[in-house]
Amino acid sequence: MIRFSNVNKNYGSFQALVDINADVARSEVVVVCGPSGSGKSTLIRTINRLEEIQSGSILFDGQDVHAKMRSKELNHLRSRIGFVFQSFNLFPHLSALENVALSPVTVNGVKREVAREKALQLLDRVGLAAKAGSYPGQLSGGQQQRVAIARALAMEPPAMLFDEPTSALDPEMVGEVLAVMKALAADGMTMMCVTHEMGFAREVADRVWFMDGGRILEEADPESFFSRPQHPRAQRFLSDLRH
Amino acid sequence: MLWDILSIIQDNWLLLLIGQYPNGPLGGFAATLILSVLSIALAFPLSVLLALARMSRSPFLLWPSTALVYIARGVPLLMLILWVYFMVPVLIGANIPGFVTMLVTLVIYEAAFLSEVVRAGIMALGRGQMDAARALGHSYLGAMWYIILPQALYNMMPSILSQFVSTIKETTLGYVINVPELTFAANQINNQLLTKPFQVFFILALVYYLVCWTLSHAATVLERRIARKRAGTTSGTLPVELQPQTLTVEP
Ligand SMILES: Nc1ncnc2c1ncn2[C@@H]1O[C@H](COP(=O)(O)OP(=O)(O)OP(=O)(O)O)[C@@H](O)[C@H]1O
Ligand SMILES: [Mg+2]
Repeated sequence: MIRFSNVNKNYGSFQALVDINADVARSEVVVVCGPSGSGKSTLIRTINRLEEIQSGSILFDGQDVHAKMRSKELNHLRSRIGFVFQSFNLFPHLSALENVALSPVTVNGVKREVAREKALQLLDRVGLAAKAGSYPGQLSGGQQQRVAIARALAMEPPAMLFDEPTSALDPEMVGEVLAVMKALAADGMTMMCVTHEMGFAREVADRVWFMDGGRILEEADPESFFSRPQHPRAQRFLSDLRH
Repeated sequence: MLWDILSIIQDNWLLLLIGQYPNGPLGGFAATLILSVLSIALAFPLSVLLALARMSRSPFLLWPSTALVYIARGVPLLMLILWVYFMVPVLIGANIPGFVTMLVTLVIYEAAFLSEVVRAGIMALGRGQMDAARALGHSYLGAMWYIILPQALYNMMPSILSQFVSTIKETTLGYVINVPELTFAANQINNQLLTKPFQVFFILALVYYLVCWTLSHAATVLERRIARKRAGTTSGTLPVELQPQTLTVEP
């Protein structure tokens, strides 16, 4: 579903991603973790080309994301990659319902009534049907993030990317967002998720990637990663995380 | 003194209000107002285009728009007016009325200033909104249209109103190229009376002051309201309004 081949990315002279080679299979849930500045956000943002890469290639559903293409083609490709941000990035001038229904209408040309109907279903799916008319400013962080997930799902993406979806949330709201993500995973969604929520990783992830210094240093199933990390950096990272 | 002022107003209110219309061109306060409103109304869309051009990566858009903004901001308005007044007839080979000269000049000048406001408003939104829009598949212009500009322009409303106030004050410069606006009318009255310049120009100042103060005040109120709304503490009316919809939504 997602394949990184020899991906290198630099910001100026700083190399943020070094020779990334990795795969995410269909319906697989991959959790990416690693210390701050290790390149997790950069990695996940190259998949929908919010960040450019300098060499290598990234295939998404068979399509080379970083190939030369018309902007129209790129927009279409992006619309098929669900992306959830750490800071939600809901559109504050639109209600929850409009946030979800806007892009299907304006990007995909779905009929307005159809899109609104669908948006309501999605809001219901994330437990927020009652908040359809509320504006982001009137919603809690957890609610906003759930709307953001519904908004991404409205484009019917075959895969969803999450960049620390719960790290901007108060602890008591983390659970509600993770619950939505777990349900998604259970429905067979292909997911790549940057997170430090170990419980989530243990329960849901098929594999964990550990990153540091722009490299993927370790790939393992969550059970062995958390109980027997191989790489010294991963061992230190996990012991820091537990304290 | 007060008596003088009242009697001047009594004798000349129509001239101050609409100039010599219908026997001559529309002038006075009406002309001032029409000139200001038209200027801002035309300058506003132009300023958005200018701002987008200034943020563009294409040198064909970036360079001319940047030059225009720098020139308009770096040159006194009066000079710009004189340029347009003397150069445009030479260029197009025909005379244009003072009103049109003034309008064209003000539109360019205000658009240059407003474009900086628009640009700042867009940049103040931060990268997250554009990222979110692009990630959903919106084109750059689509993202601007549906997501960035509605927010930026809403936040800018007080600045636009302030710019409108400046424009009203700037229309007085139309006097030098004989645009029959309010200042021009006041000067006509002064020329007739000859002996009461203080009284006449006091009236003039008062009218400008009242109009501009009211609008500035409105801008301040608007600014506070927007700041409050951005902080998320909207007045309780919004959820109440939405309640019927919310209820029908429940499965
Ligand atoms: N726009 C940029 N320009 C220059 N350097 C950048 C830029 N964005 C990120 N970097 C650098 O690239 C490295 C990786 O950043 P990235 O945001 O991917 O890290 P991260 O693993 O997501 O960290 P965090 O856990 O703090 O979110 C960091 O050292 C960062 O300073
Ligand atoms: Mg990050």
